[in-house]
Amino acid sequence: MLPLKIAARFLRTSPVQSGLIVAGIAVGIAVQIFVSSLITSLQANLVQAAIGTAPQIRITAVEEGDPVPYTDGVRSLVEGDERVEPGAVVPVRTTAALFTDGDNTAPLNLTGGTLEDLDAIYDISDRLTAGEPALGADEIIVGVDFAEKYDVGPGDEIELSLPSNRTSTLTITGVLDFGQGTANERFAFVESDLVRGILGYSQSEYSEVQVQLVEPFDSAEVAADWQKRLDPGLEAVEWQDENAELLEGLQAQSSSSIMIQVFVLVAVALGVAATLAISAVQKTRQIGILKALGMRNRQTGLVFLWEGAILGALGTLLGIVFGIGLISLFYVIPVPFTIEILPDKFAISGVVGMAVALASAVLPYRKTAALNPIEVINSG
Amino acid sequence: MADLLVAHDLEKIYGAEVKTYALKGVSFTVEEGEFASIVGQSGSGKSTLLNLIGLLDTPTSGRVTLAGRQTAEAGTDGRARLRNELLGFVFQFHYLLPEFSVWENLTMPAQIAGRTISAEEMQRALDTLGLLGLEGLEDKNANQLSGGQKQRVAIGRALFNRPKLILADEPTGNLDTANSAAVYDLFRQINAEFGTTFLVVTHDRRIAQQTDRILEVTDGLLVQDVRNAYVRNAED
Repeated sequence: MLPLKIAARFLRTSPVQSGLIVAGIAVGIAVQIFVSSLITSLQANLVQAAIGTAPQIRITAVEEGDPVPYTDGVRSLVEGDERVEPGAVVPVRTTAALFTDGDNTAPLNLTGGTLEDLDAIYDISDRLTAGEPALGADEIIVGVDFAEKYDVGPGDEIELSLPSNRTSTLTITGVLDFGQGTANERFAFVESDLVRGILGYSQSEYSEVQVQLVEPFDSAEVAADWQKRLDPGLEAVEWQDENAELLEGLQAQSSSSIMIQVFVLVAVALGVAATLAISAVQKTRQIGILKALGMRNRQTGLVFLWEGAILGALGTLLGIVFGIGLISLFYVIPVPFTIEILPDKFAISGVVGMAVALASAVLPYRKTAALNPIEVINSG
Repeated sequence: MADLLVAHDLEKIYGAEVKTYALKGVSFTVEEGEFASIVGQSGSGKSTLLNLIGLLDTPTSGRVTLAGRQTAEAGTDGRARLRNELLGFVFQFHYLLPEFSVWENLTMPAQIAGRTISAEEMQRALDTLGLLGLEGLEDKNANQLSGGQKQRVAIGRALFNRPKLILADEPTGNLDTANSAAVYDLFRQINAEFGTTFLVVTHDRRIAQQTDRILEVTDGLLVQDVRNAYVRNAED
């Protein structure tokens, strides 16, 4: 362990130089942790806003308007898949309606289901801004923008024009924040049988089966699997297919984030490599005499790999602390989303920090290993 | 006495296109316990010869045998091991490691060999420190010593592994007259007490005359190999 002992002693006797290298690595790792956590959290927030309270796979009829028979086969296919969020399989019936209050008319998309089922996907209970989570016959839950725009609220009755020249008067039980502007103005939940009556469906027929997954980004794979086993008249439509622009945005964001992290780490690696190379030159005399005394080339090279490892470990630890500190600042400063402290990112950063420091030590390692002791002795 | 060092027809050529002959076929032997010197002007080839004997460099042709071991096939790591095991170096500059204490510098050859220092070695090292006049300085940093003290620590370091041969290259070049005399007295004492073989490289004939045998190198050739008694007699 002599190379380790020499490395530690070299570092201890040059505290300013060692401190600067540790600080350089720490800043790089802190930036890496912060940027990756920021982007990951931002993306998670965007995905949550876009699909967190919406179905991620919908099983619909290929022919628009045809009913989806919710057979035991479909049920076991979907509910038996362990990638599906338990309880988040909801058959719904949907139809268009027109709200009229004498002065105004507005289109509304009605989704009919049981409150318990709809709650599993749309998180109704937690998202109500007014009223109660109740959905009996002739009752309706509307969006927050709709309620505000037409000045209605829980207990109010609204009149809807329905297909086939039917009208219906429904009582608002709750006002819901869908987290999305269009949905808040145009979407409403009603009791399932109301829509079934309008559509003329049987008890086992629905407009679509809505599903949420444990991992939303598994949707393409899951939908493809299901498609193979569904009747030809049915199709599994997944959210990524319908949100290509959002995904492109997320992808571009990830690429930019990775590029920033790579550039920061390359800059750190170059800085550390340059400083270690200078250190190797400064210690040429010591290395030369150690070789003359019988230390082997590999052992002397190891001195600088150990220096890299020690600096990498200290810099990474400090960088993780800085990174957590930086993220914690955003718990104090109000931002529209939460930056999560992600432990798995620290593990990655730890590996990256050590790799950067060790890679930076390769040049001094090679230079030192190749040093001929005669060069030192002859130069006095 | 058995031959400790055999230098056989050593030749060293520098450069490929323009060849510089630093040594042109030097042969000699050194017996165990000898106290000899290599003398020559600057650029005569004496340092090149020391580098070859000290296994710090390899000859273009010829061979070095140390304590009965052929060194030609040893390779870089093998030569490093032989240096650690068989040789002690004292240079003009002390080359102590300023990051380490006197004791750590002294025991560095054992640390390089990866050996645990035995109680006997520890006692011997303490005795050596006494012999070198460095008692009580074990824990001092090497940088805190005077020039003469540093050179004495370097001598102690060269002695630590009980090497067969100590190669001293202008060992008093940086010391004043009093310290120089003290160093040579010490070499003599170690030679007499432990039977350690010394080969001192110097350009100074007066220093060489303090040794028992003088090997003179001129223009890459060994031009004289005489016993000191003969030199003294001739001068008388």
